[in-house]
Amino acid sequence: MDELAALKEAFQSELASVQSLADLQQLRNKYSGKKGVLTAQLKSLSSVSPEQRPAFGKSLNEIKEFVESELKTREISFKDGEQEKRLLAERLDITLPGRSVMFGRSHPISQILEEIKGIFVSMGFGIEEGPEVELDHYNFEALNIPKDHPARDMQDTFYVSNEVVLRTHTSPVQVRVMEKRRPPLRIIVPGKVYRCDSDVTHTPMFHQVEGLMVDTDVSFSDLKGVLELFIHNLFGKNTPVRFRPSYFPFTEPSAEVDIGCIFCSGKGCRICKTTGWLEILGSGMVNPRVFEMAGYDPEEYSGFAFGMGVERITMLKYGIDDLRLFFENDLRFLRQF
Amino acid sequence: MRVSLNWIKQFAALAAPPQEIADRLTMAGLEIEGIEKVAGDTVIEIEGMGKTDHDMIFEVNVTPNRPDCLSILGIAREVAAAFRLPLKMPRTDVGAGLPASEISVEIIDTDLCNRYAGRQISGVTVGESPQWLKDRLEKCGIRAINNIVDVTNYVLLEFGHPLHAFDADRLAGRKIRVARAGKGTKITTLDGVERDPQEDSLLIWDGKSPVAVAGVMGGQDSAVTETTKNIFLESAYFEPTSIRRTSKQLGLRSESSYRFERGTDIEFLEKALDRAAFLMRETGGGTIHQMVDVYPVKYAPVSTEVAYRRINQLLGTQIEKQEILAILERIGIATEDRGETFVVTPPAYLRDIRHTVDVVEEIARLYGFGNIPARIPRTILSDGNLNQREADQQRIKDAFRKTGFSEAINYSFMNSSDLDLLSVASDDERRKHIAVMNPLRQEDGHMRTTLVPSLIQNFLHNISRGVRDIRFYELSKVFIDEGGQLPAEKLRLAGIFYRDKSPSIWKQDLPGFFGVKGALEAVFEELRIGSLSYTMSAENFLHKGKAADISGPEGKLGYIGELSPTVIERLDLKISKPEIIVFELDLDRILGLMKRGRNYCQIPKYPAIERDMAIVLDEAVSAASVTAYFGEYASAVIESVELFDYYKGKNMPADKKSLAFRVIYRSADRTLTDAEVEPVHQGLVEFILAKTGGALRGV
Repeated sequence: MDELAALKEAFQSELASVQSLADLQQLRNKYSGKKGVLTAQLKSLSSVSPEQRPAFGKSLNEIKEFVESELKTREISFKDGEQEKRLLAERLDITLPGRSVMFGRSHPISQILEEIKGIFVSMGFGIEEGPEVELDHYNFEALNIPKDHPARDMQDTFYVSNEVVLRTHTSPVQVRVMEKRRPPLRIIVPGKVYRCDSDVTHTPMFHQVEGLMVDTDVSFSDLKGVLELFIHNLFGKNTPVRFRPSYFPFTEPSAEVDIGCIFCSGKGCRICKTTGWLEILGSGMVNPRVFEMAGYDPEEYSGFAFGMGVERITMLKYGIDDLRLFFENDLRFLRQF
Repeated sequence: MRVSLNWIKQFAALAAPPQEIADRLTMAGLEIEGIEKVAGDTVIEIEGMGKTDHDMIFEVNVTPNRPDCLSILGIAREVAAAFRLPLKMPRTDVGAGLPASEISVEIIDTDLCNRYAGRQISGVTVGESPQWLKDRLEKCGIRAINNIVDVTNYVLLEFGHPLHAFDADRLAGRKIRVARAGKGTKITTLDGVERDPQEDSLLIWDGKSPVAVAGVMGGQDSAVTETTKNIFLESAYFEPTSIRRTSKQLGLRSESSYRFERGTDIEFLEKALDRAAFLMRETGGGTIHQMVDVYPVKYAPVSTEVAYRRINQLLGTQIEKQEILAILERIGIATEDRGETFVVTPPAYLRDIRHTVDVVEEIARLYGFGNIPARIPRTILSDGNLNQREADQQRIKDAFRKTGFSEAINYSFMNSSDLDLLSVASDDERRKHIAVMNPLRQEDGHMRTTLVPSLIQNFLHNISRGVRDIRFYELSKVFIDEGGQLPAEKLRLAGIFYRDKSPSIWKQDLPGFFGVKGALEAVFEELRIGSLSYTMSAENFLHKGKAADISGPEGKLGYIGELSPTVIERLDLKISKPEIIVFELDLDRILGLMKRGRNYCQIPKYPAIERDMAIVLDEAVSAASVTAYFGEYASAVIESVELFDYYKGKNMPADKKSLAFRVIYRSADRTLTDAEVEPVHQGLVEFILAKTGGALRGV
């Protein structure tokens, strides 16, 4: 029995000094191989006295299981180690940048247009469009701006002929829609408009969104409600809004809509020209004469209309200080949005 | 308009701070766009006003509907109404027992001149104006000239009524006639320019010849000079539209025409006349004569009856009857209560108040827009959806964004020379452009018929600023003259692509034509547009060998291709042989091809068998034609065919190429066996080889 204990001790000490899978295989051969020490012991079992034999056999078996289990454990650990070595040899510099998948960008004007459209659509407004090259009739006459009226000075017009202009606003679509459809009407008209003017604050083309709501009992109070809701959606719930009397030939009463300056919180700065307010929208109750020209009875229907410049809103929202950037299409600009 | 606050205070005893006055005016509809602190007035003896330290200049934005506010008096009236102060008028006492006028007035065209009044002032001394007067003019942006001219300008600013001073001794026949120009009349105006008024323009004549373009500018020959002794001062009412037409036609805008074309106060013009006569005598001495006043078309006030209910209905308010009437009275509108309704009679300076909404407007602005409650309208739910076209365009933009293209927005202008750059033929549809009569720049003289020139400009802008990866698309309208009153407006989708060969960390092949074609195909896939064909394009500006027309079932939809070397040369670039790909598509028709709605197809239950074949072909046989032959081969078990390899080069004759296809065989109701597929595949191979004249590669 002492012999067996010595055997186990010898195995343990040899196992401890094993360095590789090959060493391990040698050790396996030495102990549990066909000509191994343990096999030899098993063969010598017959030479053990019959009374000692069961105990000896049991011990031998235990040692055999012990040896095999130790060899297995050691083998796994060797294999794991070698795989790890191999994997490490395959390692990447994971700090290198990924292969670029470059997305494009929507133009900032488009992005703000989408936002504006989304807000009005959520309030039940539909979207309409109309021609950009427009008859003088729809652009002016039908909007209560006759020829030789001083209000024509409010907009510098590009002419194609005496009767055809590049629309100076999206308002002509109001009339085109009213000629085709009966109230109730709730529409917005996004689109390009043109004015014969170019400087730091004017470009010959820009974008507007027009709006129109007509029904049997629409009041100035509704105009305020809808536009306040719109502004609070676009600029945030706590944005101050004020309605200020103004003039547009196609609405009466007319109102400019100002928001509290978002740059100085209304304290007065360069951008709001120290007034604390920023003009954002023109609006008003549809002038009965416009209804008459479109074939609506002004005694039966009332409504409000509004219009806003998309470039201006985009500039305010993103803090852009030069209008011309929008049409240069410099990718270093566009990729910021 | 620049307005002096000190001057306003002469009319209304305001105590409020300037900012508050500005705010009140702004909220009443007279937007104060700026406030400027300037030097004060010196002593103004005739107004009983002492020296002041400083003055405030308000920059007032007067909208075209408020001609009554184009003066100190007009602004003062608004301020007085806002602060409920009495209005104090300045001195106009010309005195009694005046000598009769030696100058007579006759109005021939009473339709264009409803009233003409005048006063002769004899024995004046023309000279420098007193300091206070010069100061006030200059503060309001008018240069001082001499006391006579300065007084007419002063009264124009103060009362808003334009006046004109003639040298009475230069009026032939001591006579004023107001009549149209008639044929071939010429007049040299004060600025020394000979003018050619239209027949219908209103002129002021003396006994012989024209002496002024009515309401616009005086004539040179009758002008007041340093030696003038006797003045004839005109104060008239001219019909606004006529003044506007004349002023536009002559290209001559003046402070006078600006006011006349917006409408002046016909009843008040004699007060302006007296004020000016009074001030001329104060500043230049002389004797004022009796007024000549020819007033053939009397002002008749128009009364309007309005229902109280209608006011509150349109505003969404509940303003009391008494308050409505009080508001109107405060700005000088006479009212009469009739129970359910009331009648308003406006003064002449508010003669445009003629309809219910005009009254509503006055009440609203003076009641205060801020006091009108905001309410969310109660109305039936309606068509609150993005329309289909909008939604489609949005999808296209999203699809392009995902393929790496950024959106450009360009002006809708071009010049026909842009088409020359692209060698567009003279009978091409793109030559049917419309011209803008008054473009800002010659380059912008036409409306675009193609988006490509703008995109080339975008490319040039970016490349010259060091951007090396340029991918743009634009979705915009083009305008084609098809002979109608308005041009046809067509939606176009165009793009440009350029990437230089600078190294990048991970090898990416320069996509060129196929990169852009792939992007377009991805977009078409996203839009569910199938079966488009690509054929060699004949567009003049594209590379003959690297350009395709894209067609649908009903013909050409657009093109994609590399810009031709000729165009590139014209662009004068600093890079050699750049590969610039452009495309342009008729979007209206593309949208028409979109497949709407979806139908679920069962995912295959049984396994497929794959077979590959590589064919060596003549270069002239297009991949599309080979693909089409696969489609012609009838077999129920061919599920799909995919072109997976293209080879040209080593071990291949120069005029040959190899195409490799993978055919997927599958049955919907059973598992196919190799034995079953083999003969079908053999048949297919023979069919394709026979059709294409090709040979199997490596056999």
